[in-house]
Amino acid sequence: MPAVQDTIDRVRKIDVDQYKYGFQTEIAVDKAPKGLSEDIIRFISAKKDEPSWMLDWRLEAYRRWLALEEPTWARVNYPKIDFQDIYYYAAPKSTPGPTSLSDVDPEILKVYEKLGIPLKEQEILAGVQKTDASELEEVSDNVYKSGRVAVDAVFDSVSVVTTFKKELAQAGVIFCSISEAIREHPELVQKYLGSVVPTSDNFYATLNSAVFTDGSFVFVPKGVRCPMELSTYFRMNEKNTGQFERTLIIAEEGAYVSYLEGCTAPQRDENQLHAAVVELVALDDAEIKYSTVQNWYPGDADGKGGIYNFVTKRGDCRGDRSKISWTQVETGSAITWKYPSCILRGDDSSGEFYSIAVSNGYQQVDSGTKMIHLGKNTSSRIISKGIAAGFSQNTYRGQVSAHRKATNARNFTNCDSLLIGDQCGAHTVPYMEAKNSTAQFEHEATTSKISEDQKFYVMQRGIPEEEAIALIVNGFVKDVIQQLPMEFAVEAQKLIGISLEGSVG
Amino acid sequence: MNMHTQPQRTPAETALIDAFGDRLSLLPGDGAVMLKRDDAIEAIKHGLPTRRIESWHYTDLRRLLNVVPDFDPAAAAKAIAPIVDGSTVLTLLNGVSSAKAPVVEGVSVQRLFEKLTDGSIAPGLDPYGSDDAIGALNTAFVADGYFVDIADGVELEKPIELQNLQAGGQTHVRLPVRVGAGAKAVIVERQAGEGAALTSSVCQLVLGEGAEVTWLIVQEQPETATHLAQFKAHIGKNAKLTLFVMNAGGRLVRQEIMVKTTGEGADFKLRGINLLAGDTHTDVTMVLDHAVPHTASTEVIRNVVTGKARGVFQGRINVHQYAQKTNAKMACNTLLLSDDGEFSTKPELEIFADDVVCGHGATVTEIDHDHLFYLMARGVDEKSARGLLVKAFVAEVIEELDDEAIVEALEARLDDWFVTHG
Repeated sequence: MPAVQDTIDRVRKIDVDQYKYGFQTEIAVDKAPKGLSEDIIRFISAKKDEPSWMLDWRLEAYRRWLALEEPTWARVNYPKIDFQDIYYYAAPKSTPGPTSLSDVDPEILKVYEKLGIPLKEQEILAGVQKTDASELEEVSDNVYKSGRVAVDAVFDSVSVVTTFKKELAQAGVIFCSISEAIREHPELVQKYLGSVVPTSDNFYATLNSAVFTDGSFVFVPKGVRCPMELSTYFRMNEKNTGQFERTLIIAEEGAYVSYLEGCTAPQRDENQLHAAVVELVALDDAEIKYSTVQNWYPGDADGKGGIYNFVTKRGDCRGDRSKISWTQVETGSAITWKYPSCILRGDDSSGEFYSIAVSNGYQQVDSGTKMIHLGKNTSSRIISKGIAAGFSQNTYRGQVSAHRKATNARNFTNCDSLLIGDQCGAHTVPYMEAKNSTAQFEHEATTSKISEDQKFYVMQRGIPEEEAIALIVNGFVKDVIQQLPMEFAVEAQKLIGISLEGSVG
Repeated sequence: MNMHTQPQRTPAETALIDAFGDRLSLLPGDGAVMLKRDDAIEAIKHGLPTRRIESWHYTDLRRLLNVVPDFDPAAAAKAIAPIVDGSTVLTLLNGVSSAKAPVVEGVSVQRLFEKLTDGSIAPGLDPYGSDDAIGALNTAFVADGYFVDIADGVELEKPIELQNLQAGGQTHVRLPVRVGAGAKAVIVERQAGEGAALTSSVCQLVLGEGAEVTWLIVQEQPETATHLAQFKAHIGKNAKLTLFVMNAGGRLVRQEIMVKTTGEGADFKLRGINLLAGDTHTDVTMVLDHAVPHTASTEVIRNVVTGKARGVFQGRINVHQYAQKTNAKMACNTLLLSDDGEFSTKPELEIFADDVVCGHGATVTEIDHDHLFYLMARGVDEKSARGLLVKAFVAEVIEELDDEAIVEALEARLDDWFVTHG
C-alpha cells in the first residue's frame, strides 16, 4: 500500500532543500596545511599540547591506515575520496583554550544561538523553577532533566566551550573535551581510549585514530547518577575540512549517564568528510544512554554537496547487568555509514538500538547496528524505521550474533521501511548468527506482530487497526524522543507523526 | 584486513586449473562453447570466493574447498529406485547420461553432450556475475546432462525423476528444462551417491505462460561429498512454480536458487528443509527477482541443526522499480539443537517499488519448553517428545505440498534421516 498523504507532507518538510542550518559564518581560523602525512599528525598533536604517548598512538594508527583499503560492502556509491585534498585541522583563531564563555569569539556564540543551542548557563538556569539543591532532589527527574543540559560545543576541529563543568565536578562527573582529558586525566584516557574501537578496527576508525582533533570525554564515577543531560553539539563550518571527533564515555559501577549529540553543517557544493569514533564503556550495573540527532547538510536537491558521514560507534557492556542504549534520528548527510553497536560482554547485560532514518533527495543511508552476545543471559532489542523518499536509498544493515558461551542470549529485531515515490529504494540486510542452542533470536519486519494485547486494547476503544498500530508504534517512538531535550529534538518531533501505513519489510 | 595481497593458489584451485588443461580434449563443445569454457576457467584463476565476497560471506569456499578429488573415469554409480513409484527416471551416472532415455508422450529428452557439441546451448552457459563460482566451475567442466522439453499443454501424470548419482571423482552436469505454455509437471531432482565426490549441477528451468511445475530437489549426498548446485528459473505470465528443497547430507553443500518472475501473475513458492548433522556445512542461497508487476512469492525455510553442523540461509528478494503490487513473504526458522552447531541467516529485501507488500521473518531458537512439557505430561519420554516436535517442525512444510504421493515419499525420506540421526 502506498504512503498516506499526511506522511508524505511530513517527510516533505524535512526534504533536502528545506535545510535550515546551511548558513556559513566567517571566522578567522587557524588551519593546518591541506593533506595528510606524519607531519600533519605531529602538527595536530603539538597544537593540542599532547603527551608523547598520544602522538605515538596516532602515528601507529596512521601507519596502519596506509595499509588499509576503503571498505566497499556498504550499499552506497560515491566518487573516491581524495584524502590529500582535506584540511585535517581547522580551529577558530581566538580560542587558545577559553576558560569562560566571555573568552569565546562572539561570532561563534552567534552561530550556536542561531542553531538554538544553549551555551549560557544563566539562561538555562532561569528555566528551572527550583534551584536550591535540597529542593531539587524532590523535583521529579523529568523536570530536572528538561531544564538543564550541559553542552560541549565542538566547532570544526576544536571544542570551544563546555558548560556546567563546575557543577558536574561537584558530583564527581568529568565532562570536558577529549583534548583536555588527554592533558588532565591521562590515566583514564590511556586506560579506555581504543579499548572498544581498537585503532585497527576499520578504515575510517583508523583514520580517526590518527587525526582526531577533538570530541567529548565523560567519566561518571562509581555509583553516581549524572545530575543532568550531557550533550555535544558538532558544527562543521570551514570549507574543505574534515571533522574527526572522538568521544569517550565511561560509566563506572552503578553509574548512569544520558548523553546526546547534535550535528549540522553549512550548505556547500563540495562534499565534506566526517569520520567520528564514539566509544562507550559500561561497568557493572552501569547504564549509558546515547542519543543522536544527526542533521549534517544532506546536499542540494540535485545531490550536489553534503556530508559523508562515516562513523564508528560502539558500546562495550563490560560489566555484569550493564546496559547501553542507542537512539538515533538520522535526517542529514549525503551518505551515512553508521552502525552503533553493543558488545554484550557482561552477564545479564543488555543493549538497545532505536533508529529512525529518513532519506530524501539523493541521500544514501546504510545504517543499523551490531549486537554481539558474549555473556550469559544477555538481551538486545533493535527497532529501526527507515523512510525513503525522492531518489534516496535507505538500507538497514544489522548483525546479531550469539557466541558459543552466550547461554540464553535473547534478541528481538524489528525493522520497517516505507517508500515514498518509485525512484527511491529501501533495503533490509539483517545478519543473524547463532552458535549457542539456547539463543533465541527473532527478526521480523511485519507490523502485525506488535503485541496483540496492546492492539486489542486500543481497537476495543473503537480505533481502527491501522490507526491502532500507528498509535502504538508512535507512542513507542515518542517515548524515546521525549528523552531528548527540546533543543535537540526539533527534527525528531516532526517525525513522531510519521505513521507506518504501507510499510514494507 | 583489506591488505593488497595476491594470495597463493590453494591446492584445489591449482588442481582445477591443471585438470582443465588435461581434460580440454575430452570436453564436448564447438568453438562458442569452448570460448565460454575459457572465460570460465579464467574466473577460477582469479581464485575461489572468500568471505570477503558478500554473497559468500558465510561460506568461504576458498577455505572450505581446499582440495578437490581427481576425475575418476573408473567410478561407477548405480541407479536407485525413484521416490515415487512409476516415475520416468533419467539417470546421470557419474556425470554420464543414458543412451536409452525412456519415451514419454509430449516430452522430448536430449543428451546434453550433443547440445554442447553442436553449440546450441552456448548462450546459456554464461555465469551470472563475477561472484558466480558455481556457474564458472560448471561451465568450465560440464560434459553432459539432459535437455528436457515438455510441449505446450502437456499434463504429465507421473513425475519425471532426474537422478544425478556419483561414486567418487568429479562430475559436472547441467539440466536445462523447458516447460511449454499451459503444461503441467512434477520434476524430482535427486542428488546422491557415495564416496568423496565433487559435484556441480546447474538446472535451468523456463516456464511458459500458465505452466505449472512442482520441482523437488532431494539432496542426500554422503557426509564426505562436496555438492555445489544451482537452480535457475524464469517464471512466465500466470505460471506457477513450487520449489521444494530438502538437504539431508553432504560435507560441503551450497545450493543456490535464482528465480525471476518474467510475466505478470507469476507465482513462486519455495519450501525448504535443511536437516544438518555431523561436521558439515550447508548453505542455501536464494536470489529472487520480482521483475514485473503483479507477481507473488512466499518462501518458508526450516532448519534443524545437530552435531557440529553449520547451516546458512541467505535469501534476497529484489523488487524492481516497475514491479508494483508485488507480494513477497519470506520466513526462515531454525531449531538449533546442539551447542557445537551454528546457524547464520541473512534474509535481505531490496525494494525499489513503493506499492508492494514485502516482509520477512527469521528466528533461531531451541525446542519450546512448553511444548515439551505438554507432551511429557502425557507420558511421552523426553527423547521421543523432542523427536516428535522436531519432526513436526519440518514435516509442516512438507504437508503443504498438496500431492499425496509426493508428501508420502518425502516423509519417508524424513523418517530415514531421523532413524540415522535421531
